[in-house]
Amino acid sequence: MKNFSIAKRQVDQISVLDISGELDAHTASQLENSLKALIESKNIKIIVNCAKLDYIASAGLGVFMAYIEDVRGLGGDIKLSNMNDRVYNVFDLLGFPTLYDIVDDERDAVKAF
Amino acid sequence: MNNSPQSNDERRSRFELRTLLETSRLLIESQDPDFVLNNLLLITMGKLLVPKGMILIHKPGDASYLVSKSKGRDWLTEGSDLKVEFDQKLLDTSVIHGKKYSTVFDAIGIEKESILFNLKTSNHHLGFLCLGPKGTKQPLTGGEIEFIESLSIISSVAIANSRMFKELRHINRRLDRKVHDLNTLLELSKDFNMMVDRDEIARVFKFAMLGQMLIRTFFFALDIDGKRSIISISGIKDAPTDEDLDKLFGMEDIARTDDVKDCAFLADNNIDLLIGLRFQNEKIGVVGVGPRATMEGYGDAEINFLQSLGNLALLTIQKTLLLEEQIVKKRMEEELNLAKTIQEGLLPSPIPQIPGMEIAAVNVSSRQVGGDYFDVLKLEDNGHLLAIADVTGKGIPASLLMANLQSMLHALAPLEVTLEDATGRINDIIYENTPSDKFITFFWGKITDDGKTFKYTNAGHNPPMVFKKDQKEPILLEDGGVILGAVPTMLPYSSAEYKIEEGDLLVFFTDGVTEAMNPEQTEEYEEHRLIDCVNANRDKDANGIMNAIIRDINHFSNNIQYDDITMIILKVS
Repeated sequence: MKNFSIAKRQVDQISVLDISGELDAHTASQLENSLKALIESKNIKIIVNCAKLDYIASAGLGVFMAYIEDVRGLGGDIKLSNMNDRVYNVFDLLGFPTLYDIVDDERDAVKAF
Repeated sequence: MNNSPQSNDERRSRFELRTLLETSRLLIESQDPDFVLNNLLLITMGKLLVPKGMILIHKPGDASYLVSKSKGRDWLTEGSDLKVEFDQKLLDTSVIHGKKYSTVFDAIGIEKESILFNLKTSNHHLGFLCLGPKGTKQPLTGGEIEFIESLSIISSVAIANSRMFKELRHINRRLDRKVHDLNTLLELSKDFNMMVDRDEIARVFKFAMLGQMLIRTFFFALDIDGKRSIISISGIKDAPTDEDLDKLFGMEDIARTDDVKDCAFLADNNIDLLIGLRFQNEKIGVVGVGPRATMEGYGDAEINFLQSLGNLALLTIQKTLLLEEQIVKKRMEEELNLAKTIQEGLLPSPIPQIPGMEIAAVNVSSRQVGGDYFDVLKLEDNGHLLAIADVTGKGIPASLLMANLQSMLHALAPLEVTLEDATGRINDIIYENTPSDKFITFFWGKITDDGKTFKYTNAGHNPPMVFKKDQKEPILLEDGGVILGAVPTMLPYSSAEYKIEEGDLLVFFTDGVTEAMNPEQTEEYEEHRLIDCVNANRDKDANGIMNAIIRDINHFSNNIQYDDITMIILKVS
């Protein structure tokens, strides 16, 4: 198994996913399952903390794309925080910052809800 | 006191030089054209005490100027557009002032006493620095004009630089994006290589598409052996009907759906672009994508990427199909090998020896399993049973029937039944249990324990040949009845007795021997060649004769075997 893991925390009404390792074609489905589970249990205020995310491939970004509308449609949002520069660069290259709230610090994301 | 005009001039020019130097340093280091322009305007206005000034930036291709900066009252406002165009001669002029340019000032809409400094590099007109008349209404001196001109040149270079820098940054970013695209392809080709699960491949393909193109709406339809279906989907309200799918597969390889009118599925789901994917020139995949979240369209680069990624997914899926096929084939092969072993076990081994006779037998299947059968059985009364048979068709169906025949024969052999009756029973069972196009040609006979009599029944089999000592033409053992399995036994089978004599040579064979073909497929081996071959090798022992026949057939057919070859050679010593 590739080096990737997800841990879930609750900060008041907000669900925080701490993702770490490499998010690529093989591990994308793990993130998908976590997001699906949150949406099904009506936890629609979601922060994905990327502090320990070392690498992200397009398939990983695709998971975010696939669920953002659903979450927003329910009145929630997915916000991303604490990315390192390399990971942010990939998000930026593909134009994610126009769509997603990407903030430096998780606390800013919490406040933004 | 340094009041003389000369020292005043000196002081002034030193000041101007210093201003130029500082400004140029400031401007050259700045990557921000806005900052450069603002500085240029403020410095010149302050230096010359001009209350009105603005900077016009040329918009090539638009026959207009953008009012980039504007200071002072009732001149054009910043950000507005000025529709005006000047001839090349004016654009080559560095400083524009005086009466002869009054039309120019009118065109811009500023006072006739104004002055324009051309902002240009050696080959590029960037715009104008426009300055209104001095507060004192005094015209600018030659020195002042020269100073502003220098400043304008430095500023122009700085702007050109920052523009170039901006463009480079843009190019760099596009390159970064390209590198990322390529990396994605490379990485996915590696990832796909390790995947055998089609659902997983389709899912990864979907996410890569969504992430890479920043889209929500996506589908991937595949045609597997003529069956079209959606294998991956995102953001689509209703899956397409079979009719929709046929339409999608019938479209151009690259279809922008603005032009497609008659497909509700595309319109309802906001699909912008369809990409057809081909494998060996046949369209077997269609990818549809919705609008990009960045609001950018699909250019050549994007279409290229979609095609590449799509082809990659398609090939990977093809690979899994081939792999599955191979696994099935492999399993079939293993089963066939097992069947072959079982079938070989149905033939007698070792072949029982009959006192006073030499016996040799062979069965060569053209495939792994076949429909030929022979047997040699020692009976309770010390007699021997010989049998040879050929089931129509080849392969597994024939081998099943052969096994069936073998078991019947072994069940009947110990019983007190005549050959004729037993043949009739076997025929009835075969007739009842097999489709009407399956038959068996069958010959069997019993050699009495003293080895003197051979009683036989021939059910439509190639008549075995008996070569008598000193006779070249064989006797044919033909008595019996019709082939097994064609009709129920209404007429009983008959049998005949042959008296075995010293020196007799009996040759039993299937039609694989006599119907072996020459390489041109024009001629069969036929009985006469068999007879010639036996006669030529009569003096050899049973094994030697058998091997000679096989060699002769192989020679005739150039080792290409189409049918099973089975023989029993019996030589009475």
